[in-house]
Amino acid sequence: MMILKTIRRFREVGVLGMNRRNAEYIMRSNPRAFFPLVDDKLKTKQLAEAHQIPTPPLYHVVEHHGDIPTLEKKLDGYHDFVIKPARGTGGSGIVLLTKHTEGDFVKQNGEVVPMKDLAYHISDILSGIYSLEGLEDRAFIEALVHPNTVFDAVTYRGVPDIRIVVYRGVPAMSMVRLPTQASDGKANLHRGAIGVGIDMAEGTTLAGVHRSGVVTHHPDTNKPVTGIRVPHWERMLLMAAKAVDMTGLDYLGVDLVIDQERGPLLLELNARPGLQIQIANQAGLLRRLELIDQAPADVFATPETRVAWVLETFSARPSSTN
Amino acid sequence: MKRPALLLAVALLILSFGLISYRILWLKYPVLPAAPAKVWQFSMNAFVKGGEKVTTVMIGLPSTQKGQLVVEERIHPGTLSFNLLREGPNQIGVWSGVVTQKGDVIGYSSTIQVQPQRPLKAQQPPRLGPYPKNVGESEWQLAARLVENWNPLPPAERLRRIAAALNGSWGASLPNAQDFGAWSALQNTHGRMATALVLLRAAGLPAKAVEGLLLAESVTSSTVTWIEVWTGQEWENLQPEKGEIYQKPLLLLPLTTGGLPVLRTLHGELSEVRWTLNRQIINQWRMKFEIIMRSNRWLDRWSLFRLPEEFQKTFRILMLVPIGALMICVLRNIVGFPTFGIFLPVLMALAFRNTGLAYGLGVFWGVVLIGYVVRRWIDKLRLLLVPRLSVILTLVIICITIFALLGNKFGLRQFMAVGLLPFVILTMTIERFFVIIEEAGPREGLWTAAGSAGVAVVTYGILEIEPLQLTFFVYPELLFAVAALQVLLGRYTGYRLLEIFRFRGFWRS
Repeated sequence: MMILKTIRRFREVGVLGMNRRNAEYIMRSNPRAFFPLVDDKLKTKQLAEAHQIPTPPLYHVVEHHGDIPTLEKKLDGYHDFVIKPARGTGGSGIVLLTKHTEGDFVKQNGEVVPMKDLAYHISDILSGIYSLEGLEDRAFIEALVHPNTVFDAVTYRGVPDIRIVVYRGVPAMSMVRLPTQASDGKANLHRGAIGVGIDMAEGTTLAGVHRSGVVTHHPDTNKPVTGIRVPHWERMLLMAAKAVDMTGLDYLGVDLVIDQERGPLLLELNARPGLQIQIANQAGLLRRLELIDQAPADVFATPETRVAWVLETFSARPSSTN
Repeated sequence: MKRPALLLAVALLILSFGLISYRILWLKYPVLPAAPAKVWQFSMNAFVKGGEKVTTVMIGLPSTQKGQLVVEERIHPGTLSFNLLREGPNQIGVWSGVVTQKGDVIGYSSTIQVQPQRPLKAQQPPRLGPYPKNVGESEWQLAARLVENWNPLPPAERLRRIAAALNGSWGASLPNAQDFGAWSALQNTHGRMATALVLLRAAGLPAKAVEGLLLAESVTSSTVTWIEVWTGQEWENLQPEKGEIYQKPLLLLPLTTGGLPVLRTLHGELSEVRWTLNRQIINQWRMKFEIIMRSNRWLDRWSLFRLPEEFQKTFRILMLVPIGALMICVLRNIVGFPTFGIFLPVLMALAFRNTGLAYGLGVFWGVVLIGYVVRRWIDKLRLLLVPRLSVILTLVIICITIFALLGNKFGLRQFMAVGLLPFVILTMTIERFFVIIEEAGPREGLWTAAGSAGVAVVTYGILEIEPLQLTFFVYPELLFAVAALQVLLGRYTGYRLLEIFRFRGFWRS
């Protein structure tokens, strides 16, 4: 039977399914008590700063509706910035703005936003429009990332980000998420962004996944997405490895961006990272998680030893583990 | 990790099957439930007050006739003497005697087997009866004039026209003002039943007045009346008050025919008359039930059969809800169907029991779609979560009300039953439907909707299996076995069926 054959094939490759991810990894590795640290981007950011993990500079936090009128003055000195809801999910409520004229701003797509509309948007965020449970939220304003030019040819507006799945402090699999026209400049796969796998050992891109099909070229720019060398690769692996130590969550999706001047920055953490990363890498996550579990104890000593082990062990090249 | 769960599941299974074996081997429970048959338990109770004279109470009782078989009759005479009489086609129970000062309770019960109607080709067409008594010859002529235009039509069509006329719509053959006045006067003096009979007689349609009950699970203190009309092929049931022809297969239980009242008393007074009809599943189980009721065994004393009958019905369904939940575990964790909420499909399935499957699904998704459109529009207003959900809830209630009013207008009972749909669930579904479409696209939204509907239909199918209802009712310990399966599913870490398609990218390259 075709299905049984496929299941056997999946087992061989080590594909991780939803049930196993939930029961064996998330439930076992991620104590519920630590979830608020990753569900609130502002908390994550503060935590990261305390652990010397760089994040986009924080300009301002809006906690109460009463703070909104003085906002214009506070934003005076900044040329461009991003407004985010602290508890937003799936990229909703995030606005990227550049100063246009006195008091007005321009969105990524060229739309002019007067200060008045901006105040409305922040008011919405505070009311919890973008937080999934509808709880009251905080808005924060941070520096706009100017992405490293390496992905310029395969990005349609927006900022590409890099997702690294980390298990027990060891980076297991990663991909870069490239915005498309369909995703409206956002790097979320379910909004239509492309996920492109990255060879863990070499830091070069593999094939991509777009809407659960495999692609080799960006649909808007038509440039190949494969074979791109990701800058600061080892530094990012190290940041990801450290991120786990600071949260107490053992199975984590770490999202990073590469700023042209500042280098890699931590954006957010995800306690339930998706499984599509496996298609982007053409590799099974389960296989790698099992390898991590079998690693000798001294590998887990420091973030540096863990990254060293990764560079030695994981590669998408057929000769090694896959 | 898997060991404790496995041990728990095994323990639950042993507990479940141990109790069942005990019931079968020691208490001699039947192993397999018999096939369900349409059997109704009929009972009538009344309170009689009398004076010094001999009180006689005559009550119409169900009798064996076309399509129904009356068995296991039981009489509760109180202090009176009981006699069974036949008056024409009717079976009349006669209670008589001197009633004490305090009054007396009388009762009757029987089991009625409803048999499927066979085609009545061989049956002799009934003869046209006389005009109703106490209606004069001038009224006969009036009626004849009124139906004159319809006489060339076939009998079924004649009946339809008369039904419409009873409802006030005469169509093209509106009578002249004088006749119409006389007709209204006739209705006022003799009542609608008699006037309907006159019209039918004038139109040459054999008809008889019937008093009885609607054959549905109910407790009632009043009877209904209707007219059986022969249309050449079969008996149609006409409701004279509204001029409505009952849709088949509507089940009615006649108690008396030919204008004979169901209740008659002589030198006495009847009060608190109560008819009870209970759909009974299987006769064989009824015997079992009686044994359980008399048994002093521990498990028998704790049987669900000991509950008052009105609560038993609820538990028949409740026992199956965990199976519905089990189905959801299977469809979500093994197949990978997405659903709105976790137990929403179970609640939908419960609601479908009132509305029927097609109407239930139609109304449900109709309301969700209307709600979605409004929710999309409301999104522009940027309302806060709780007031926003309240607006949607109000909208849902408005939709349900409109559906009910439309149902009433067009005679669709199922539309009125939508009031019992879980409105909170509808509200949350609208919100989730909207969020999923916004965040993951319309494809994902429709896919989730289809998944929810599919699971609801499967669950409904299970809830409606009567032998299964009964098996769980007799052996509630089966719930432990269901829990065992749920525990096992909770430790299933294999692939979901739909995941295999999701990860098909793996072997494409």
